Amino acid sequence: MEELARGIVLGLSALGAGTAMIAGLGPGIGEGYCGGKAVEAIGRQPEASGAITRTMIIGDALAETTGLYALVIALLLLYANPLIGKLG
Amino acid sequence: MPTALMLAAEEGISVNGPLVVKSFNIGGITINLTESIIVQWFVIAILLVVVLVLTRNLKVVPETKRQAAAEMIVEFFRNTVDGTMGTKYKAYHSYIAALFCFIMINNLMGLLGLRNPTADVSVTGAFAIITFFLVQYNKGKTGKFKGYMKSFVEPLPFMLPFNIIGEFANPLSLTLRLFGNMVAGTVIGALIYFALGHFAILVPAVASLYFDIFSAVMQAYIFIMLSMSYISSADCSED
Repeated sequence: MEELARGIVLGLSALGAGTAMIAGLGPGIGEGYCGGKAVEAIGRQPEASGAITRTMIIGDALAETTGLYALVIALLLLYANPLIGKLG
Repeated sequence: MPTALMLAAEEGISVNGPLVVKSFNIGGITINLTESIIVQWFVIAILLVVVLVLTRNLKVVPETKRQAAAEMIVEFFRNTVDGTMGTKYKAYHSYIAALFCFIMINNLMGLLGLRNPTADVSVTGAFAIITFFLVQYNKGKTGKFKGYMKSFVEPLPFMLPFNIIGEFANPLSLTLRLFGNMVAGTVIGALIYFALGHFAILVPAVASLYFDIFSAVMQAYIFIMLSMSYISSADCSED
């Protein structure tokens, strides 16, 4: 019975970790949009490419944050699972 | 016949936190001397040697390539800080330069086969806490007590809880951004080595090029850029 409960918790944690990483979609779309807009801006105003690239990198970093939150949750579930402790 | 992938699955993939080298117990509080701290001492030693070598025998008109390189580095940080924060913040030149160099060398430690100190949430947390206090200091300095208090009820008084949460969300996201990127590099590196088993040639090198070099320098740059914009946007003087 103990074994079974442990197995279920571990299996569902693995599923949860995988599901959490669906959040990777958001940053992907966001960064793609950011990069595309930056290319448009550089096309319109090539002399400002330095400033645009710098701003784009900051925007990318901010867009990436939600993905990294998901990554941290997935890593928690895989390597430092808090739910196993609740089994008693 | 077991394939490399099956063997890896049987052995299990393990990614460990930083090793605890020694534990001290001071007044009931346990203080751990971890791998991250020791690697950081090593980084400090590298930086000290580089800085001492670069700044020996400085002349008014640079004669050596060494001095020209040193001047280029200083110029780069001055331009970055002035360009992002405005010319008001001359005192931050040296801090931002030190922060960038320290984080970058820490991130590059993965190349030597050491564990990145920045793949440890307490190290990145410390960097973010310094930024947090600098933001509070700059708010207090520019707005005095009244401006500091007023910054929490702007634009409308009912925004108070959101402003307080936002104040703590910035250092949290700074911490997790650097930590997440570095730990992702470590975990993906371990996964690639386990999946390829004895055939681990070329592929790990390409992954390492991205995670250990590109990502390392980029994340250090992003960390200082965001720190600078948080600090300079905390300005609440009335002009």
